[in-house]
Parts: sequence; structure tokens; C-alpha cells
Amino acid sequence: MTSFSQYILQRLLAALITLIGISLIIFLLVRLLPGDPARVIAGLLASEEDVEQIRVWMGLDRPLPVQYAMFFSRMVRGDLGISARTKEPVLKEILSRLPATMKLAVISMTIAGVLGVLGGVLAAYRRNSILDFLISVGTLFGISMPVYWLGLMLIVLFAVRLHWLPAAGSERPASYILPSFTLAAFSIALVARMTRSSMLEVLSEDYVRTARAKGLRESVVVLRHALSNALIPVVTVIGLQFGALLGGAVLTETVFGWPGMGQLMVDSIFARDYPMVQGIVLVFSSLLILVNLIVDILYAYIDPRIHYG
Amino acid sequence: MTHRAGYSRSSQAPPIRTVLVLGLVLILVFLAACAPAPAAPAAEAPSAAEEEATPTPAEAKTFRIAVGIDPDTLDPALGTTTTVSNIVDYMVETLVVTDKDGNPQPKLATGWEVAEDGLEYTFYIRQGVTFHDGTVLNAEVVKWNLDRILDPNVKVPIRSPFAAIEEVEIVDDYTIKLHLSRPYAPLISAFSLGNAGIISPDSVNAEGNTYENVTRPVGTGPYVFQERVKGERIVVTRFEDYWGEKPYYDEVVFRVVPEAATRESLLLAGQVDLIILPPISDLPALQQNPDVKVLLAPSDRTIFISINNTHEPLNDVRVRQALNYAVNKEEIIESVLFGAAELLDAPMASNLFGYCPQKPYEYDPEKAKALLAEAGVESLELNFIAPTGRYVQDFQAAQAIAGFLSEVGIKAPVSTMDWPSYVAAILTPPDENNIDLHFLGWAPSYLDAAQQMVQFYSPEHPPNGLATSFYGNPEVDKLIEAAAQESDPEKRKELYCQASEIIWNEAPWIFLWVQRFPIVYRADLTGVDYHPTEKFYAIYARPAE
Repeated sequence: MTSFSQYILQRLLAALITLIGISLIIFLLVRLLPGDPARVIAGLLASEEDVEQIRVWMGLDRPLPVQYAMFFSRMVRGDLGISARTKEPVLKEILSRLPATMKLAVISMTIAGVLGVLGGVLAAYRRNSILDFLISVGTLFGISMPVYWLGLMLIVLFAVRLHWLPAAGSERPASYILPSFTLAAFSIALVARMTRSSMLEVLSEDYVRTARAKGLRESVVVLRHALSNALIPVVTVIGLQFGALLGGAVLTETVFGWPGMGQLMVDSIFARDYPMVQGIVLVFSSLLILVNLIVDILYAYIDPRIHYG
Repeated sequence: MTHRAGYSRSSQAPPIRTVLVLGLVLILVFLAACAPAPAAPAAEAPSAAEEEATPTPAEAKTFRIAVGIDPDTLDPALGTTTTVSNIVDYMVETLVVTDKDGNPQPKLATGWEVAEDGLEYTFYIRQGVTFHDGTVLNAEVVKWNLDRILDPNVKVPIRSPFAAIEEVEIVDDYTIKLHLSRPYAPLISAFSLGNAGIISPDSVNAEGNTYENVTRPVGTGPYVFQERVKGERIVVTRFEDYWGEKPYYDEVVFRVVPEAATRESLLLAGQVDLIILPPISDLPALQQNPDVKVLLAPSDRTIFISINNTHEPLNDVRVRQALNYAVNKEEIIESVLFGAAELLDAPMASNLFGYCPQKPYEYDPEKAKALLAEAGVESLELNFIAPTGRYVQDFQAAQAIAGFLSEVGIKAPVSTMDWPSYVAAILTPPDENNIDLHFLGWAPSYLDAAQQMVQFYSPEHPPNGLATSFYGNPEVDKLIEAAAQESDPEKRKELYCQASEIIWNEAPWIFLWVQRFPIVYRADLTGVDYHPTEKFYAIYARPAE
């Protein structure tokens, strides 16, 4: 067994333990929220008998350890329970919403990767020029603008004033433009800044000078020798950004009426829909753990300076 | 990142590899997400491939509405939310509807009779009505529906209005008789609740539906359920065999848009035709805008500060009256609510059956101070809470009220919490309840005083009920009980009037206002109306000639 496959196994095991820990934390957290979920679901006008009946349906009349044992044993079998709010299986609800969120996240990540790297390389290569300055200002905006406000501003500009794009929904390809850019803004800025500094560092390395001295074309020097090394840390950042994107999706989906998991999560939290909140957080966590695992393993694979063990 | 690699065989990773890795990360994430095929065809998010599918033909006329919540259920029996029942109303009808003044009117029932003792109700069912699936409406179908609402296996959240029904008897093909275990005077109005919507019995076996949970309602209404994308839209199409007047639009699309500012943008961008609940601070601008019309619909939602009637010195009626005189409600309606409310002049909204107006407590800080002095109150600090975003300008209005109270020497700084926590706090039993004042809205789901009077009925004190002011008066309790048993409408009204007068004078609340329900739509439309239960009524909307 090589140290590399040992490392992978180790990481897998750690991921599994993390997931079990998360399931317990989620379970306790949603129950620590004040407020009677049965009352919230029944609505203010319902009678006490109505509420009591819902409490029994939700299994809230049983002791906490029993509730957790039931939740865990079902979870292991891939059954996340029934949503208290919609009376539908939690897994079915999540799977019907997952693609919309994923599409948004992946498109945003692609935009962030392409534009961020492009901006970063340009800024680094034309260091201290007007272009570099403009990109710096742009990224500063991208990092400091609240997602929520940016989304509303884009809607006012492109839908209300210019009538170019849909203000909400996900029916047409054009519907993707505003939410994707809103969600990507922060990541574009972050990736651009990351690329710029890492590129500047690489451009001053010996081997770049050597490559130039050998008389290689500038484009080959920059793109092949410098960029390929500069991108190693950027890969990690993009991987880690995925978590931020899922978080941002909650706000973006609310602003744009996007039918994804973020919106479902907001609805479920306000409805104190325990099974649904547990399920969504579990799926989000699993995705993040998976992405981080992949990034770690790939990173170890592409950068031999990482010592696993 | 410091790059201090002394020796490194591959400190220069081939670009191919790095790009490959980047691509892999993306692809893996994507696969992880999209591998499981969604199980529900009706709830599938549109895939990139079918995006351009079903473009509406140019001649098909579509009406587009933006609402703020994604329906939790489309099963009429399971609903608890006005907006959801507003959508279901397009597809499913009830036996009875109430007009804007709370009087029951025929819908799927053409008439009804109540026995002297109030224990037997006879309903005559409308003939010649068919469901979207071709089923014919008759007594048997109605009985099946009522039995389903009463069936413990169906998780009906609001069953109490129908709890008195013991048995549903079929008299003939178009007549049913209900046998009650006890008189329950508001029963006729209760049949206007969305929960009593009549669906086709066969439809519970149709695709996606079960007897316990209907996801595609099949009713007798003017529109047929077409498709639903959860979290985004619900589409209904015109029912050509509808028994009543047929609507103008071929298709109605309900868009789910939680953010008020986005709803407003959709309307201003011409991407929807009607919205509810725009950002309240934009009302003046919308009213000035020639492209849209603003309908500030009267509602039945009373807004009040519930005073804890058990706490010293709030158990003194003079102190509670002082609080009522201390607050300038008109000023708050004008400047904080942008006119989206009207002054409350009874313990209930004016469109409830059983309403009779009282003399409002006008703004009089001097009188308030005098009453406080008379009650021997020198300084008063109160624990005051309000929700945020639950009712129109709730927290902002509460802050204004706190300001008025401080002018008569009462310190009551407002704090807020999220809604479920808030509900838990105000429903705490009296011995542990430390809240002195809380801001609340109350909207009867059918327009009858019975649904409002639970707020002033002793047996409804938390933890048994929702009378969160803990107000109790044996005389009022008796009047409320008598009214619930009284089958003569005029006598019933009189009993509620007597109760209202006592309650008004004893001031268990700071009586504030009745919220208005803002509906905004394209200016070139006609036929947009409202119902006081905070519903828009746009089934017969059409372009103005």
C-alpha cells in the first residue's frame, strides 16, 4: 500500500466521521431553535388539539435520544424522512431542487474561474498600469458588495430600465445571466486577486527568466511556464469557494426567485420544518466534504511538495 | 504562498494537468449534483435542453401573477396560508363563499337550511357541475370530501371548525344533511374556508396524488392545474367545461418571488401583470406611476398591541385606557405605513359578521397622564416585543408606539425576535410570562366574529389557546358562548355587539388599525378585485377595452 493511497483512505475515513458528527450537530441545532414547530406549521389560528396532533405526527412527543436514533437509522438507509411543511419525502424535495442550485453554482464557478484568472493574469502582466489599477478597483467592489444589493441593482438596471433580461425565474437561458453574475461577483474578485499575486511571484522565479533567456516566445513563457504553476494555489481557492457559492445561493435564489435549495432552506427554517432543514444541511455538508476531499487529493497529486502522511 | 522549492522535479506542472484538474473538479461537482434523476416529473427544474420548450403560442393569452411564497401544499384540505388558498381557488371551489361583508353566498351549494336546534344542516348541491376529470358533482362526492376532511388519517391542520360534524348523510343525489354533536353557528361560513374545497374523489388515485396528500388538485374551478416547478411557478389553464362564467385568459402563471423589491421590478419591467405586497415604502411612488394601479384592499387583519392583563399595573383598566390615549395611531398610519391601513374602531375589522363600531380612543396624551395619575402609576417600565417583517411595518410601527408611550412617561423599548421564537414567547403561560406588551396581527380565515372573539375568551388563554392578552370577563365569556349557540343571525349579531362594547371599554389591547392588503397591477387591466381575507381576485381580469 503506497503512502498516497493510504492518504486517500485516511481522508475518506475523516470525511465519514465528519459527516456523522455533522448529523448530530444539525439534529441538536434545529431543536435548540426556540419556538414550537408544531405551532408554526399549524398556523396561529389552529386550536391546541390541532397543534398537539401535529406534534405527534412529527414525533416531537418522544425523548430526544429516541428522535435522534430514529433520524440516524433512517439516514443510514438513505431515508431523510417526510417534510413537515409539504408532507413530501425530504429526499424527493431536495433532489428536485438540487439541479437548479448546482447549475447556478457551476456556472458561477466557471465564470469566476475564467474571468478571475483572465483578470489576474492581465493585472499581473501589466503590473502598475492603468489596467492593473482598474482591475484592482473592480475586485475591491466585487469583494465588498453585498450579494443582495448587487442582485437588486442588476435587476433594476437590466430588467426594469433596459428591458434586456428577465428579472426572476429560471425558464429561459437568459434567466441565468443575472443570478450567475450576482453569485459569481465575489468569487471573480477573489480568484483575480489570488491569480495576480501568485502570478507576480512566479514571474520573478528563476525558471521564467531562464525560459526567457532561452528565447522562448513571450506567450509560451507566460502561459505555459508561469501560469501553469501560478494556478496551483488557485485550484484550491476555487474548490473552497464552492462552499461560499452554496451560501451565496441562499441569498441569490431569494432575490431572483430561483427554484433551488437555497430558497427551500429559507422556507424550511422559517417553517421550523426540522426534517427538511436537517436534510438540506446534510446534503450541503456532504457536497462540501466531497469537493474538499477531491481538491485535497488532486492537490496532493499535482503538487509534489505536499507531504501526505 | 511562498514558493521556495529548492529542487523540484516538477515545480513546473504541465499546464495540461492543471487544466485537467480544474475541469475535473467542475465536472465532479456537477455530476455529484445531477446524477440522481429527480423523482417528481411535475417538480423538475427545467433542464438546459428543454429551456425553449413550450413557448406560449402568440394567440394564447397568459396572465402572470407574482406572489411571495412557495406553496407548502396544493391540497385544499391541508392548507393554512391565505396566499396558497388564493392560488388553489383558481382550481377548486367551495360549497359556500362569503361576500365582502361576511355574508355567506352560494357557490357549489345553491342553498342551505339550518334546523331550529342548530344540530342539522341541509345543503342543496348545484346541478350540472363537472370536475376537470369529467366526474359529475353530486351529494356522494360532497359527502366523500367532508368525510375526508374529518378523517384522522388526513393531516388536516385546521379541523376544529368542522369538529362538530358527527355524520354526513346523503338525502338524495343533490342533497346532503349534516348531523352535529353540538350547535356551531359559524359552520356555514366555515364552509367558505379553502380547507373545505371540493375535489374529485377519483383524482386522489391520479398521478402524484394520494388520498392523504394531493399535489395536483382536481376541482370544479375555472382553471385546471397544468404544471408546477416548486420554488418557481405554478401554471393553470382555462377549463372549457366550467359551469360558471368563463374567464378571459387561457392561462394563468403564478410566479414565486420571495423578495418584494423583485416582485415590484417584475411588474415595472412588464414581466408580470399583477403582484401582491410590494415594498411598502414604494407605495407612494407606485401610486404616482401611470403605468400601474394600486389597490389598497381592505382586509380583516386587525393589528394591535396585546397588553398582558395579568401584570401589575396593567390589570388596572385605567392604565390600559391610558395606553390607548397615549398613541397617535393616525400619525403612524400616515407616516410609517404609507396609508396602508385604517383606524380600528371595534375589537374586530368592519367586514366581519358581528361588527359594530365603537367610539375610537383619540390621541390625548394629557388624558393618558391623568388616567395614569388616577391609577397611582408614577413610573412604568414595560417589556415590549414586536416581530420584524411579519406584518406591514410591524417593528417600525412598534418603535413609533414606544416613542409615544415615552411621552407620557412610560418606558417601553422594543425588542424583536424571529417569528417562531416570538410565538413561543407570547404563548408562555401567565405565571412564567414576562412580556408586558406585544405587537400582533389577527386575521379570521372566514369573516365571522366567532373567529375574532377567541382573543377575548377566558378558556382560550395560553397554553390552551391564543388569547395572548389574558383578558377575561365572565360576562363577555357568557355572551361569546351564547352567540356560538345562537342560530338566529340578528340575535347573534346583537350578542357580539354587547360583547364588543364591554371589550372596547376595558381595553385589553392598544387598538391600532386594520391592515390593508396592497395589490398592484398593470394600469390597462380591468376586473381586478379583492376579498377581505387578504386575497386578490383576478380570475375575471382582462385588458380594458
